[in-house]
Amino acid sequence: MRNTVIDTITRQASLNKEIFIITGDAGFGVLDTFQERYPRRFLNLGVAEQNMIGCAAGLAMTGFKVVVYNIIPFLLYRCYEQVRNDICYQKLPVVLVGIGSGFTYAPQGITHYSVEDIVIARSLPNLIILSPADPLEAEKCAEFALNSRKPVYIRLAKSGETALHRRKPKRIDRPCVLKEGKGVAVLFHGSVGIEVMKATEDLQERPLVISLPMIQPLDFEMLRKSLKGVHTLITVEEHFAEGGLGSLVSECVVQERLRMSVKKLGIKNEFIHAVKNVSGMRRYYGINSDSIRRSIREGFRREK
Amino acid sequence: MKEDRLINLAKDVRRSIIEVACKSRSAHVGSALSCTDLLVALYFYQLKNLDVKNWKRRDIFILSKAHAAIALYAVLTKKGLITQGQFNRYFQNDGSLPAHLDRFDPQGRLRKGIEVSAGALGHGFNIAVGMSYGYKLRGDKRKVYCLIGDGESQEGSVWEGALFGAKLKVDNLTVLLDFNNLQGYGRPTQICHFMPIAAKWEAFGWQPYQVDGHDFREILDALQKPHRGKPKIIIAKTVKGKGVSFMENEMKWHYYMVTDELKEQALQKLCALIK
Repeated sequence: MRNTVIDTITRQASLNKEIFIITGDAGFGVLDTFQERYPRRFLNLGVAEQNMIGCAAGLAMTGFKVVVYNIIPFLLYRCYEQVRNDICYQKLPVVLVGIGSGFTYAPQGITHYSVEDIVIARSLPNLIILSPADPLEAEKCAEFALNSRKPVYIRLAKSGETALHRRKPKRIDRPCVLKEGKGVAVLFHGSVGIEVMKATEDLQERPLVISLPMIQPLDFEMLRKSLKGVHTLITVEEHFAEGGLGSLVSECVVQERLRMSVKKLGIKNEFIHAVKNVSGMRRYYGINSDSIRRSIREGFRREK
Repeated sequence: MKEDRLINLAKDVRRSIIEVACKSRSAHVGSALSCTDLLVALYFYQLKNLDVKNWKRRDIFILSKAHAAIALYAVLTKKGLITQGQFNRYFQNDGSLPAHLDRFDPQGRLRKGIEVSAGALGHGFNIAVGMSYGYKLRGDKRKVYCLIGDGESQEGSVWEGALFGAKLKVDNLTVLLDFNNLQGYGRPTQICHFMPIAAKWEAFGWQPYQVDGHDFREILDALQKPHRGKPKIIIAKTVKGKGVSFMENEMKWHYYMVTDELKEQALQKLCALIK
Protein backbone atom coordinates (compact mmCIF):
# COMPACT_ATOMS: atom_id res chain seq x y z
CA MET A 1 0.00 0.00 0.00
CA ARG A 2 2.93 2.24 0.80
CA ASN A 3 4.27 2.02 -2.74
CA THR A 4 0.80 2.37 -4.25
CA VAL A 5 0.19 5.59 -2.33
CA ILE A 6 3.57 7.08 -3.17
CA ASP A 7 3.33 5.98 -6.83
CA THR A 8 -0.10 7.60 -7.08
CA ILE A 9 1.27 10.81 -5.58
CA THR A 10 4.30 10.72 -7.88
CA ARG A 11 2.06 10.23 -10.92
CA GLN A 12 -0.17 13.13 -9.90
CA ALA A 13 2.85 15.32 -9.24
CA SER A 14 3.55 15.56 -12.96
CA LEU A 15 0.16 17.21 -13.44
CA ASN A 16 -0.17 19.05 -10.16
CA LYS A 17 2.93 21.20 -9.73
CA GLU A 18 2.00 22.09 -6.15
CA ILE A 19 2.49 18.57 -4.77
CA PHE A 20 5.37 18.57 -2.30
CA ILE A 21 6.71 15.70 -0.20
CA ILE A 22 8.33 16.17 3.20
CA THR A 23 9.78 13.20 5.03
CA GLY A 24 11.16 12.91 8.53
CA ASP A 25 14.11 10.79 7.42
CA ALA A 26 11.98 7.83 6.31
CA GLY A 27 11.31 6.50 2.83
CA PHE A 28 14.49 4.71 1.79
CA GLY A 29 13.65 3.00 -1.50
CA VAL A 30 10.11 4.42 -1.45
CA LEU A 31 10.54 8.12 -2.14
CA ASP A 32 13.56 7.80 -4.44
CA THR A 33 11.65 8.22 -7.71
CA PHE A 34 9.76 11.26 -6.46
CA GLN A 35 12.94 12.82 -5.14
CA GLU A 36 14.81 12.23 -8.42
CA ARG A 37 11.98 13.57 -10.55
CA TYR A 38 10.98 16.53 -8.39
CA PRO A 39 13.99 17.53 -6.27
CA ARG A 40 12.62 21.02 -5.76
CA ARG A 41 9.43 19.64 -4.30
CA PHE A 42 11.05 17.24 -1.89
CA LEU A 43 12.55 17.83 1.56
CA ASN A 44 14.02 15.48 4.10
CA LEU A 45 13.57 17.46 7.30
CA GLY A 46 15.49 14.91 9.30
CA VAL A 47 14.86 13.61 12.76
CA ALA A 48 13.06 16.73 13.94
CA GLU A 49 9.37 15.98 13.88
CA GLN A 50 8.05 19.19 15.42
CA ASN A 51 9.81 21.27 12.80
CA MET A 52 8.75 18.82 10.09
CA ILE A 53 5.06 19.45 10.79
CA GLY A 54 5.49 23.20 11.39
CA CYS A 55 7.34 23.61 8.10
CA ALA A 56 4.70 21.51 6.33
CA ALA A 57 2.09 23.95 7.62
CA GLY A 58 4.12 26.95 6.47
CA LEU A 59 4.66 25.48 3.00
CA ALA A 60 0.96 24.66 2.75
CA MET A 61 0.14 28.28 3.59
CA THR A 62 2.08 29.40 0.54
CA GLY A 63 -0.03 27.14 -1.67
CA PHE A 64 1.82 23.83 -1.87
CA LYS A 65 -0.11 20.58 -1.51
CA VAL A 66 2.12 19.08 1.15
CA VAL A 67 2.40 15.35 1.84
CA VAL A 68 4.28 14.42 5.02
CA TYR A 69 5.64 10.88 5.10
CA ASN A 70 6.84 9.16 8.26
CA ILE A 71 6.44 6.21 10.59
CA ILE A 72 3.20 6.81 12.48
CA PRO A 73 4.61 7.45 16.00
CA PHE A 74 6.86 10.12 14.49
CA LEU A 75 4.06 11.59 12.43
CA LEU A 76 1.30 11.80 15.01
CA TYR A 77 2.62 11.18 18.51
CA ARG A 78 5.96 12.95 18.81
CA CYS A 79 4.50 16.03 17.18
CA TYR A 80 0.85 15.74 18.21
CA GLU A 81 0.59 19.39 19.23
CA GLN A 82 2.00 20.50 15.89
CA VAL A 83 -0.51 18.33 14.03
CA ARG A 84 -3.26 19.74 16.24
CA ASN A 85 -2.32 23.43 16.22
CA ASP A 86 -0.38 23.89 13.00
CA ILE A 87 -2.31 21.63 10.63
CA CYS A 88 -5.79 20.86 11.95
CA TYR A 89 -6.55 24.11 13.82
CA GLN A 90 -5.39 26.14 10.81
CA LYS A 91 -7.44 23.81 8.55
CA LEU A 92 -4.62 23.20 6.10
CA PRO A 93 -5.08 20.48 3.45
CA VAL A 94 -1.88 18.68 4.37
CA VAL A 95 -1.74 14.91 3.76
CA LEU A 96 -0.15 12.90 6.56
CA VAL A 97 0.99 9.53 5.24
CA GLY A 98 1.78 7.23 8.15
CA ILE A 99 3.37 3.84 7.77
CA GLY A 100 3.69 0.94 10.19
CA SER A 101 0.06 0.63 11.33
CA GLY A 102 -0.62 -1.73 14.22
CA PHE A 103 2.33 -4.01 14.75
CA THR A 104 3.61 -3.97 11.20
CA TYR A 105 7.10 -3.51 12.60
CA ALA A 106 6.90 -6.31 15.16
CA PRO A 107 9.04 -7.29 16.95
CA GLN A 108 10.72 -3.87 16.92
CA GLY A 109 9.02 -2.98 20.20
CA ILE A 110 6.02 -0.81 21.00
CA THR A 111 7.85 2.49 20.50
CA HIS A 112 7.52 1.68 16.81
CA TYR A 113 3.99 0.24 16.81
CA SER A 114 0.94 2.33 16.20
CA VAL A 115 -1.87 0.79 18.13
CA GLU A 116 -3.49 4.00 19.37
CA ASP A 117 -3.20 6.26 16.33
CA ILE A 118 -6.90 6.09 15.43
CA VAL A 119 -8.04 7.17 18.88
CA ILE A 120 -5.47 9.96 18.82
CA ALA A 121 -6.42 11.09 15.32
CA ARG A 122 -10.10 10.91 16.22
CA SER A 123 -9.48 13.64 18.78
CA LEU A 124 -8.58 16.07 16.01
CA PRO A 125 -11.41 18.06 14.43
CA ASN A 126 -11.08 18.75 10.67
CA LEU A 127 -8.87 15.69 10.24
CA ILE A 128 -10.06 13.02 7.82
CA ILE A 129 -8.84 9.54 8.76
CA LEU A 130 -8.29 6.95 6.04
CA SER A 131 -7.22 3.39 6.72
CA PRO A 132 -7.15 1.39 3.49
CA ALA A 133 -7.18 -2.39 3.58
CA ASP A 134 -5.47 -3.19 0.30
CA PRO A 135 -3.58 -1.49 -2.55
CA LEU A 136 -6.81 -0.75 -4.43
CA GLU A 137 -8.29 1.13 -1.53
CA ALA A 138 -4.93 2.76 -0.92
CA GLU A 139 -4.80 4.18 -4.43
CA LYS A 140 -8.29 5.59 -4.06
CA CYS A 141 -7.34 7.04 -0.66
CA ALA A 142 -4.30 8.77 -2.15
CA GLU A 143 -6.45 10.28 -4.90
CA PHE A 144 -9.02 11.40 -2.35
CA ALA A 145 -6.36 12.95 -0.12
CA LEU A 146 -4.73 14.88 -2.95
CA ASN A 147 -8.09 16.45 -3.77
CA SER A 148 -9.13 17.10 -0.19
CA ARG A 149 -9.41 20.64 1.10
CA LYS A 150 -9.08 19.40 4.67
CA PRO A 151 -6.16 17.67 6.35
CA VAL A 152 -6.04 13.91 5.80
CA TYR A 153 -4.27 11.16 7.72
CA ILE A 154 -3.66 7.96 5.75
CA ARG A 155 -2.83 4.95 7.88
CA LEU A 156 -0.74 2.37 6.04
CA ALA A 157 1.03 -0.85 6.95
CA LYS A 158 3.91 -1.33 4.53
CA SER A 159 3.98 -2.91 1.09
CA GLY A 160 3.09 -6.25 -0.40
CA GLU A 161 -0.50 -6.50 0.86
CA THR A 162 -2.85 -8.78 -1.09
CA ALA A 163 -5.70 -7.14 -2.99
CA LEU A 164 -9.03 -7.81 -1.29
CA HIS A 165 -11.15 -5.99 -3.84
CA ARG A 166 -11.56 -7.20 -7.39
CA ARG A 167 -11.40 -3.70 -8.75
CA LYS A 168 -10.70 -0.26 -7.38
CA PRO A 169 -13.64 0.87 -5.22
CA LYS A 170 -15.51 3.85 -6.64
CA ARG A 171 -15.68 5.62 -3.31
CA ILE A 172 -13.72 5.24 -0.13
CA ASP A 173 -15.82 7.68 1.86
CA ARG A 174 -18.48 4.99 2.12
CA PRO A 175 -18.53 1.46 3.49
CA CYS A 176 -17.05 -0.99 0.97
CA VAL A 177 -18.94 -4.26 0.98
CA LEU A 178 -16.55 -7.13 0.24
CA LYS A 179 -18.88 -10.05 0.90
CA GLU A 180 -22.66 -10.04 1.01
CA GLY A 181 -24.29 -11.76 3.93
CA LYS A 182 -26.62 -11.27 6.87
CA GLY A 183 -27.04 -11.98 10.54
CA VAL A 184 -23.47 -11.21 11.44
CA ALA A 185 -21.46 -8.33 9.95
CA VAL A 186 -17.71 -8.03 10.20
CA LEU A 187 -16.48 -4.42 10.01
CA PHE A 188 -12.80 -3.72 9.72
CA HIS A 189 -10.20 -1.24 8.54
CA GLY A 190 -6.61 -1.58 7.45
CA SER A 191 -4.27 -4.41 6.58
CA VAL A 192 -5.80 -6.82 9.11
CA GLY A 193 -8.55 -7.19 6.50
CA ILE A 194 -6.66 -10.13 5.05
CA GLU A 195 -7.37 -12.02 8.28
CA VAL A 196 -11.06 -11.25 7.95
CA MET A 197 -11.08 -12.52 4.37
CA LYS A 198 -9.31 -15.72 5.41
CA ALA A 199 -11.70 -16.18 8.33
CA THR A 200 -14.71 -16.02 6.03
CA GLU A 201 -13.32 -18.39 3.40
CA ASP A 202 -14.81 -21.89 3.44
CA LEU A 203 -17.23 -20.82 6.11
CA GLN A 204 -20.66 -22.41 6.16
CA GLU A 205 -22.24 -19.26 7.55
CA ARG A 206 -22.35 -16.15 5.36
CA PRO A 207 -21.48 -13.00 7.29
CA LEU A 208 -21.57 -9.57 5.72
CA VAL A 209 -18.00 -8.29 5.33
CA ILE A 210 -17.39 -4.56 5.13
CA SER A 211 -14.22 -2.54 4.91
CA LEU A 212 -14.39 1.00 6.28
CA PRO A 213 -11.49 2.91 4.80
CA MET A 214 -12.85 6.25 5.99
CA ILE A 215 -13.07 6.26 9.75
CA GLN A 216 -13.45 9.99 10.27
CA PRO A 217 -15.96 11.18 9.34
CA LEU A 218 -17.67 7.81 9.43
CA ASP A 219 -20.68 7.59 7.12
CA PHE A 220 -22.78 5.72 9.63
CA GLU A 221 -25.99 6.49 7.77
CA MET A 222 -24.74 4.51 4.75
CA LEU A 223 -23.39 1.82 7.01
CA ARG A 224 -26.72 1.47 8.81
CA LYS A 225 -28.47 0.98 5.49
CA SER A 226 -26.19 -1.86 4.53
CA LEU A 227 -26.73 -3.54 7.90
CA LYS A 228 -30.29 -4.68 7.21
CA GLY A 229 -30.91 -8.08 8.75
CA VAL A 230 -27.82 -7.89 10.91
CA HIS A 231 -28.03 -8.59 14.63
CA THR A 232 -24.36 -8.87 15.52
CA LEU A 233 -21.51 -6.59 14.61
CA ILE A 234 -17.93 -7.73 14.91
CA THR A 235 -15.33 -5.03 14.53
CA VAL A 236 -11.79 -6.08 13.70
CA GLU A 237 -8.79 -3.78 13.81
CA GLU A 238 -5.08 -3.91 14.39
CA HIS A 239 -5.44 -1.17 16.98
CA PHE A 240 -6.35 -0.96 20.64
CA ALA A 241 -9.79 -2.46 21.16
CA GLU A 242 -10.82 0.60 23.18
CA GLY A 243 -10.77 3.84 21.24
CA GLY A 244 -10.67 2.71 17.63
CA LEU A 245 -13.30 1.71 15.10
CA GLY A 246 -14.93 -0.64 17.58
CA SER A 247 -15.55 2.17 20.03
CA LEU A 248 -16.73 4.48 17.29
CA VAL A 249 -19.22 1.91 15.96
CA SER A 250 -20.43 1.16 19.50
CA GLU A 251 -21.11 4.86 20.04
CA CYS A 252 -23.09 5.02 16.82
CA VAL A 253 -25.10 1.90 17.68
CA VAL A 254 -26.04 3.37 21.05
CA GLN A 255 -26.80 6.75 19.59
CA GLU A 256 -29.01 5.32 16.86
CA ARG A 257 -30.62 2.88 19.32
CA LEU A 258 -29.94 -0.04 17.01
CA ARG A 259 -30.73 -3.50 18.30
CA MET A 260 -27.35 -4.97 17.63
CA SER A 261 -24.62 -6.35 19.77
CA VAL A 262 -21.09 -5.21 19.10
CA LYS A 263 -18.08 -7.44 19.61
CA LYS A 264 -14.81 -5.55 19.44
CA LEU A 265 -11.82 -7.53 18.28
CA GLY A 266 -8.70 -5.48 18.78
CA ILE A 267 -5.50 -5.32 20.73
CA LYS A 268 -5.84 -5.23 24.49
CA ASN A 269 -4.99 -1.70 25.67
CA GLU A 270 -1.63 -2.37 27.23
CA PHE A 271 2.07 -1.84 26.54
CA ILE A 272 3.14 -4.77 24.44
CA HIS A 273 6.11 -6.65 25.82
CA ALA A 274 5.59 -9.84 23.81
CA VAL A 275 8.25 -10.47 21.18
CA LYS A 276 6.53 -11.93 18.14
CA ASN A 277 6.19 -11.28 14.44
CA VAL A 278 3.00 -9.86 12.95
CA SER A 279 1.17 -13.15 12.65
CA GLY A 280 2.30 -14.14 16.13
CA MET A 281 1.00 -10.85 17.50
CA ARG A 282 -2.30 -11.19 15.68
CA ARG A 283 -2.78 -14.66 17.14
CA TYR A 284 -1.70 -13.52 20.63
CA TYR A 285 -4.14 -10.61 20.66
CA GLY A 286 -7.00 -12.50 19.03
CA ILE A 287 -7.25 -10.69 15.72
CA ASN A 288 -6.03 -13.49 13.46
CA SER A 289 -8.31 -15.42 11.12
CA ASP A 290 -8.96 -18.23 13.63
CA SER A 291 -10.11 -15.85 16.35
CA ILE A 292 -12.25 -13.92 13.91
CA ARG A 293 -13.84 -17.13 12.64
CA ARG A 294 -14.63 -18.18 16.21
CA SER A 295 -16.32 -14.85 16.91
CA ILE A 296 -18.34 -15.08 13.71
CA ARG A 297 -19.59 -18.57 14.58
CA GLU A 298 -20.44 -17.43 18.08
CA GLY A 299 -22.40 -14.58 16.59
CA PHE A 300 -24.39 -16.91 14.38
CA ARG A 301 -25.00 -19.29 17.31
CA ARG A 302 -26.47 -16.49 19.37
CA GLU A 303 -29.06 -15.97 16.67
CA LYS A 304 -30.58 -19.39 17.22
CA MET B 1 11.98 62.25 11.95
CA LYS B 2 10.66 58.75 11.30
CA GLU B 3 11.78 57.67 14.79
CA ASP B 4 9.68 60.41 16.41
CA ARG B 5 6.62 59.27 14.53
CA LEU B 6 7.20 55.70 15.69
CA ILE B 7 7.74 56.81 19.29
CA ASN B 8 4.39 58.56 19.27
CA LEU B 9 2.67 55.61 17.65
CA ALA B 10 4.19 53.27 20.23
CA LYS B 11 2.87 55.50 22.99
CA ASP B 12 -0.64 55.28 21.53
CA VAL B 13 -0.35 51.53 21.18
CA ARG B 14 0.80 51.15 24.79
CA ARG B 15 -2.06 53.31 25.96
CA SER B 16 -4.61 51.20 24.13
CA ILE B 17 -3.04 47.99 25.46
CA ILE B 18 -3.43 49.27 29.03
CA GLU B 19 -6.99 50.39 28.43
CA VAL B 20 -8.13 47.16 26.82
CA ALA B 21 -6.20 45.02 29.31
CA CYS B 22 -8.04 46.85 32.07
CA LYS B 23 -11.41 46.41 30.39
CA SER B 24 -10.83 42.71 29.83
CA ARG B 25 -8.93 41.98 33.06
CA SER B 26 -6.52 39.91 31.03
CA ALA B 27 -2.95 38.79 31.71
CA HIS B 28 0.36 39.10 29.80
CA VAL B 29 0.41 42.90 29.86
CA GLY B 30 4.15 42.92 30.58
CA SER B 31 4.83 40.60 27.64
CA ALA B 32 2.82 42.87 25.34
CA LEU B 33 4.56 46.08 26.43
CA SER B 34 7.94 44.45 25.99
CA CYS B 35 7.46 43.83 22.25
CA THR B 36 5.37 46.91 21.45
CA ASP B 37 8.22 48.87 19.90
CA LEU B 38 9.25 45.91 17.74
CA LEU B 39 5.69 45.53 16.44
CA VAL B 40 5.37 49.26 15.79
CA ALA B 41 8.65 49.25 13.85
CA LEU B 42 7.41 46.33 11.76
CA TYR B 43 3.90 47.52 11.06
CA PHE B 44 4.57 51.24 10.67
CA TYR B 45 7.86 51.09 8.87
CA GLN B 46 9.03 47.70 7.68
CA LEU B 47 6.16 45.53 6.39
CA LYS B 48 5.30 46.15 2.76
CA ASN B 49 2.01 45.99 0.91
CA LEU B 50 -0.41 45.97 3.79
CA ASP B 51 -2.78 48.19 1.81
CA VAL B 52 -5.95 46.73 0.30
CA LYS B 53 -4.67 46.98 -3.26
CA ASN B 54 -1.48 45.00 -2.67
CA TRP B 55 -2.76 42.77 0.13
CA LYS B 56 -2.21 39.57 -1.87
CA ARG B 57 1.53 40.17 -1.99
CA ARG B 58 1.99 41.57 1.49
CA ASP B 59 4.91 40.78 3.76
CA ILE B 60 4.00 38.23 6.41
CA PHE B 61 4.33 38.70 10.14
CA ILE B 62 3.90 35.77 12.51
CA LEU B 63 3.63 36.38 16.25
CA SER B 64 5.03 33.15 17.64
CA LYS B 65 4.96 34.37 21.27
CA ALA B 66 1.25 34.70 20.82
CA HIS B 67 0.49 35.36 24.48
CA ALA B 68 1.34 38.95 23.54
CA ALA B 69 -1.59 38.92 21.09
CA ILE B 70 -3.07 42.05 22.69
CA ALA B 71 -0.08 44.03 21.41
CA LEU B 72 -0.64 42.74 17.88
CA TYR B 73 -4.36 43.52 18.11
CA ALA B 74 -3.54 47.04 19.27
CA VAL B 75 -1.24 47.56 16.28
CA LEU B 76 -3.70 46.00 13.83
CA THR B 77 -6.43 48.25 15.23
CA LYS B 78 -4.26 51.28 14.61
CA LYS B 79 -3.65 49.91 11.10
CA GLY B 80 -7.38 49.58 10.53
CA LEU B 81 -7.25 45.81 10.09
CA ILE B 82 -9.24 45.27 13.30
CA THR B 83 -12.02 47.63 14.29
CA GLN B 84 -11.87 49.54 17.56
CA GLY B 85 -15.16 47.88 18.49
CA GLN B 86 -13.63 44.42 18.04
CA PHE B 87 -10.57 45.37 20.02
CA ASN B 88 -12.66 46.81 22.86
CA ARG B 89 -14.28 43.40 23.27
CA TYR B 90 -10.99 41.53 23.36
CA PHE B 91 -11.05 38.53 25.72
CA GLN B 92 -14.69 39.13 26.57
CA ASN B 93 -17.78 37.03 26.47
CA ASP B 94 -19.06 36.90 22.87
CA GLY B 95 -16.20 39.05 21.62
CA SER B 96 -14.17 37.91 18.63
CA LEU B 97 -10.55 38.21 19.80
CA PRO B 98 -9.15 35.55 22.13
CA ALA B 99 -6.04 36.03 24.26
CA HIS B 100 -4.01 33.93 21.83
CA LEU B 101 -4.21 34.06 18.07
CA ASP B 102 -6.92 32.46 15.96
CA ARG B 103 -6.82 33.13 12.24
CA PHE B 104 -10.51 32.26 12.03
CA ASP B 105 -13.25 34.41 13.53
CA PRO B 106 -16.03 32.79 15.62
CA GLN B 107 -18.00 32.20 12.41
CA GLY B 108 -15.08 30.26 10.95
CA ARG B 109 -14.10 32.90 8.39
CA LEU B 110 -10.47 33.72 7.80
CA ARG B 111 -9.59 36.89 9.65
CA LYS B 112 -7.60 39.58 7.90
CA GLY B 113 -4.30 40.40 9.58
CA ILE B 114 -3.88 37.27 11.70
CA GLU B 115 -1.67 35.12 9.49
CA VAL B 116 -1.28 32.15 11.79
CA SER B 117 -3.20 30.75 14.75
CA ALA B 118 -0.78 30.41 17.62
CA GLY B 119 -0.50 30.28 21.38
CA ALA B 120 1.51 27.24 22.37
CA LEU B 121 5.16 28.25 22.21
CA GLY B 122 7.55 27.03 19.56
CA HIS B 123 5.01 26.74 16.74
CA GLY B 124 4.85 30.01 14.81
CA PHE B 125 8.59 30.03 14.33
CA ASN B 126 8.62 26.72 12.43
CA ILE B 127 5.65 27.76 10.34
CA ALA B 128 7.62 30.91 9.47
CA VAL B 129 10.57 28.77 8.34
CA GLY B 130 8.27 26.68 6.12
CA MET B 131 6.50 29.74 4.73
CA SER B 132 9.67 31.62 3.87
CA TYR B 133 11.01 28.53 2.10
CA GLY B 134 7.72 28.21 0.24
CA TYR B 135 7.87 31.80 -0.97
CA LYS B 136 11.49 31.37 -2.03
CA LEU B 137 10.62 28.31 -4.09
CA ARG B 138 7.77 30.17 -5.73
CA GLY B 139 10.02 33.10 -6.59
CA ASP B 140 7.74 35.30 -4.49
CA LYS B 141 9.75 38.31 -3.33
CA ARG B 142 7.82 39.02 -0.17
CA LYS B 143 9.47 38.80 3.25
CA VAL B 144 8.52 36.84 6.32
CA TYR B 145 8.99 38.20 9.86
CA CYS B 146 8.48 36.31 13.08
CA LEU B 147 8.66 37.35 16.72
CA ILE B 148 9.69 34.80 19.33
CA GLY B 149 10.20 35.07 23.07
CA ASP B 150 13.23 34.24 25.17
CA GLY B 151 11.27 31.77 27.29
CA GLU B 152 9.96 30.34 24.02
CA SER B 153 13.55 29.79 22.93
CA GLN B 154 13.75 26.88 25.35
CA GLU B 155 11.43 24.87 23.10
CA GLY B 156 13.22 22.13 21.21
CA SER B 157 11.20 23.00 18.12
CA VAL B 158 12.93 26.39 17.98
CA TRP B 159 16.32 24.73 17.70
CA GLU B 160 15.04 22.21 15.18
CA GLY B 161 13.86 25.14 13.10
CA ALA B 162 17.16 26.92 13.67
CA LEU B 163 19.02 23.95 12.16
CA PHE B 164 16.76 23.69 9.15
CA GLY B 165 16.16 27.39 8.55
CA ALA B 166 19.88 27.84 8.01
CA LYS B 167 20.08 24.73 5.84
CA LEU B 168 17.21 26.00 3.68
CA LYS B 169 18.97 29.38 3.37
CA VAL B 170 15.79 31.33 3.96
CA ASP B 171 17.27 34.80 3.57
CA ASN B 172 13.75 36.18 3.21
CA LEU B 173 13.12 35.42 6.89
CA THR B 174 13.83 37.76 9.79
CA VAL B 175 13.20 36.56 13.30
CA LEU B 176 13.02 39.01 16.20
CA LEU B 177 13.82 37.68 19.64
CA ASP B 178 12.12 39.62 22.42
CA PHE B 179 14.82 39.21 25.07
CA ASN B 180 13.23 40.70 28.17
CA ASN B 181 14.83 38.07 30.39
CA LEU B 182 11.63 37.23 32.21
CA GLN B 183 9.42 34.27 31.64
CA GLY B 184 6.53 32.63 33.49
CA TYR B 185 8.41 31.71 36.63
CA GLY B 186 11.94 33.01 36.44
CA ARG B 187 14.62 34.49 34.20
CA PRO B 188 15.82 32.64 31.09
CA THR B 189 19.42 33.46 31.93
CA GLN B 190 18.98 31.72 35.29
CA ILE B 191 16.65 28.88 34.31
CA CYS B 192 18.91 27.51 31.59
CA HIS B 193 22.23 28.14 29.92
CA PHE B 194 20.72 30.87 27.78
CA MET B 195 23.80 32.94 27.03
CA PRO B 196 25.64 33.57 24.79
CA ILE B 197 22.47 33.71 22.73
CA ALA B 198 23.80 35.55 19.67
CA ALA B 199 26.74 33.17 19.39
CA LYS B 200 24.36 30.22 19.55
CA TRP B 201 22.29 31.48 16.63
CA GLU B 202 25.42 32.36 14.71
CA ALA B 203 26.76 28.85 15.26
CA PHE B 204 23.48 27.49 13.92
CA GLY B 205 24.12 29.38 10.68
CA TRP B 206 22.00 32.48 11.23
CA GLN B 207 22.99 36.11 10.83
CA PRO B 208 22.49 37.68 14.27
CA TYR B 209 22.20 41.36 15.10
CA GLN B 210 21.80 42.74 18.60
CA VAL B 211 19.80 45.85 19.38
CA ASP B 212 18.13 47.78 22.14
CA GLY B 213 14.55 46.67 21.53
CA HIS B 214 13.18 50.06 22.55
CA ASP B 215 15.45 52.18 20.37
CA PHE B 216 13.81 52.66 16.98
CA ARG B 217 16.98 53.77 15.28
CA GLU B 218 18.72 50.55 16.25
CA ILE B 219 15.69 48.41 15.41
CA LEU B 220 15.24 49.97 11.96
CA ASP B 221 18.97 49.72 11.26
CA ALA B 222 19.01 46.03 12.10
CA LEU B 223 15.92 45.42 9.98
CA GLN B 224 17.77 46.87 6.96
CA LYS B 225 20.99 44.95 7.56
CA PRO B 226 21.88 42.36 4.92
CA HIS B 227 21.78 38.61 5.48
CA ARG B 228 22.56 37.04 2.14
CA GLY B 229 22.08 33.30 2.03
CA LYS B 230 21.15 33.16 5.71
CA PRO B 231 18.10 33.80 7.82
CA LYS B 232 18.45 36.81 10.11
CA ILE B 233 17.78 37.02 13.83
CA ILE B 234 17.54 40.32 15.65
CA ILE B 235 18.15 39.84 19.33
CA ALA B 236 16.30 42.72 20.88
CA LYS B 237 17.17 43.48 24.48
CA THR B 238 13.89 44.57 25.96
CA VAL B 239 12.25 45.34 29.28
CA LYS B 240 9.13 43.47 30.29
CA GLY B 241 6.37 45.97 31.03
CA LYS B 242 8.28 48.74 29.23
CA GLY B 243 6.79 52.20 29.61
CA VAL B 244 5.01 51.70 32.91
CA SER B 245 7.61 52.01 35.65
CA PHE B 246 5.84 49.84 38.20
CA MET B 247 5.47 47.04 35.65
CA GLU B 248 8.99 47.19 34.30
CA ASN B 249 11.14 44.12 34.80
CA GLU B 250 8.59 42.59 37.20
CA MET B 251 7.71 38.94 36.76
CA LYS B 252 4.26 39.41 38.26
CA TRP B 253 3.29 41.47 35.21
CA HIS B 254 3.32 38.26 33.22
CA TYR B 255 0.07 37.56 35.10
CA TYR B 256 -1.32 40.58 36.92
CA MET B 257 -4.45 42.30 35.80
CA VAL B 258 -4.85 46.02 35.32
CA THR B 259 -7.44 47.29 37.80
CA ASP B 260 -9.12 50.67 37.25
CA GLU B 261 -6.83 52.26 39.81
CA LEU B 262 -3.71 50.76 38.27
CA LYS B 263 -4.87 51.81 34.83
CA GLU B 264 -4.92 55.47 35.83
CA GLN B 265 -1.46 55.18 37.33
CA ALA B 266 -0.17 53.35 34.29
CA LEU B 267 -1.56 55.90 31.85
CA GLN B 268 0.05 58.70 33.85
CA LYS B 269 3.39 56.90 33.66
CA LEU B 270 2.96 56.58 29.91
CA CYS B 271 2.23 60.28 29.56
CA ALA B 272 5.37 61.05 31.50
CA LEU B 273 7.36 58.86 29.14
CA ILE B 274 8.91 61.36 26.79
CA LYS B 275 11.91 60.56 24.77
